[in-house]
Amino acid sequence: MILANIACFVETYNFSDKYEVSALNKFKLTAEEMGHALDFITKQDIRSIPKYDAVFIRATTDPLYTAYLVSKTAWELGLRVLDAPQSIQICSNKIHMYSLLERNKVPYIPTVFVAKDEMHHRLVRELFSLLGPILVLKAPYTSFSKYVEKVASETSFRQVAKKFFRRSDVLVVQKFMPTTFDWRVGVLNDEVLYVCKYKMRKGGWKHGAKLRGKHTFAWGKTYSLKREHAPERLKETALRACEAIGNGLYGVDIKEINGEYVVVEVNDNPSVYAGHEDYRDKDIYEKIIAYLVN
Amino acid sequence: MVSDIDFPINAPRMKNDEFLKSSARDFILNINADYRYMKIGYYVSLRAEVLGNKVIPPSSSAIDAYRIPILLLRASIAGIPTAPHLVTDSVNDITSEFNFPVVVFPVISFSHVNFKVAQTKSSLYRIVKSLSMNYRYPVCAQPFSGEIVSFKSVFGESDLKEAWELAEGFYEEFKVPICRLYAQKIENRLCLCGAGPMNIEELDSFDLRLISERIAMLSDDFG
Repeated sequence: MILANIACFVETYNFSDKYEVSALNKFKLTAEEMGHALDFITKQDIRSIPKYDAVFIRATTDPLYTAYLVSKTAWELGLRVLDAPQSIQICSNKIHMYSLLERNKVPYIPTVFVAKDEMHHRLVRELFSLLGPILVLKAPYTSFSKYVEKVASETSFRQVAKKFFRRSDVLVVQKFMPTTFDWRVGVLNDEVLYVCKYKMRKGGWKHGAKLRGKHTFAWGKTYSLKREHAPERLKETALRACEAIGNGLYGVDIKEINGEYVVVEVNDNPSVYAGHEDYRDKDIYEKIIAYLVN
Repeated sequence: MVSDIDFPINAPRMKNDEFLKSSARDFILNINADYRYMKIGYYVSLRAEVLGNKVIPPSSSAIDAYRIPILLLRASIAGIPTAPHLVTDSVNDITSEFNFPVVVFPVISFSHVNFKVAQTKSSLYRIVKSLSMNYRYPVCAQPFSGEIVSFKSVFGESDLKEAWELAEGFYEEFKVPICRLYAQKIENRLCLCGAGPMNIEELDSFDLRLISERIAMLSDDFG
């Protein structure tokens, strides 16, 4: 007898990376071993959502994407859902996310919000003098290292800002803090699930970067360590950050600078690639499925 | 009250940009014509919530009201009449569910409400391809009854007499003070089928007076 029916919402791109395919299969297998059924559903199957007990979203989330429709539909129908619409609203908009980190006094990268109507020469100069000679501009809807650019002059600041202001009336300006890796702490329901180091690409400053002349992204290496071996203050910082957001599944990116931990971002719908995030802590599939059916 | 719209009121008032930099702790009435996701009207509501204020409209309503499948789902749960609909990217699913003509709405809309009516299967293919951005997103299909009416909703009051109840129900559920609603006439009653932002120029003197009155009432209630 099947205990619970779980829908896993995916898009075709979720099957383009063999490590992600392997992770998706592990979710299915784990669910079945635990006595549940897990079906992969796509945008053609939205009307079938009411027949499930829980929905697990693996496609990229954003309030403008189909994944949000799926999450909101499931939530309105009273189903258990990862990621919940509230998490998507917060984490998919960096203005929202950083505002909550600020309110909850979580240490994060020095950040200023700039509204489209206040862009002028004096403000740009003030930002350079406040945050340093190199700034990072982030569109609020950034994900997977996209729509994040560094600028070192007013001209490039204006060019990038103009591009990002097409979709959002407010954008994020941050201090440039280069490191060789970012910590990635996976958190589920206020507990640390896994800990990794996401290395920057050789010669780059982001974990992922678009290859020159190509449409594809290339990623830096991922090193995993057992969660009990990760620094305690790192885990505490990640949990504090998630406490400000909600109690779902999150991937917290953290920089370690001079022994201090500062949050770069809290992401909903964090990547789970077989052999990467699960390399040291193999129970992450079981814990996620258990959360969905609890 | 936070707004860039110019109208006479007696309540304390801030401009959008000024409010985004402030730490005001109060009940916030966000009066903008466009609350779409990532537009300034949305960020005003978001800022108010982050500061711990009660705000009209809530930022989540600003997201949900303009996403047609979510609008229809929440409206139907709230008892507001809605047209039957199907969210899919499959023409065959639409034709097996509804007879022609069919009206198709995009589920991702970066601009104002946009819809197209298909009379035949071949036109439906073209419309679904276009509104789904080449099948990247699903679309929301509804049987087309022959007429879609559009009307202003200002604090739940409409400029179209027969839509008063619908506008009131919409405001009760979503608390979006200013927007344009779309409805189909099905068997002599209006069924909600879309919502979108308004242009400030569409607000006439009657609307501005109504907004001033409602602000005064809400200021008394929360003041």
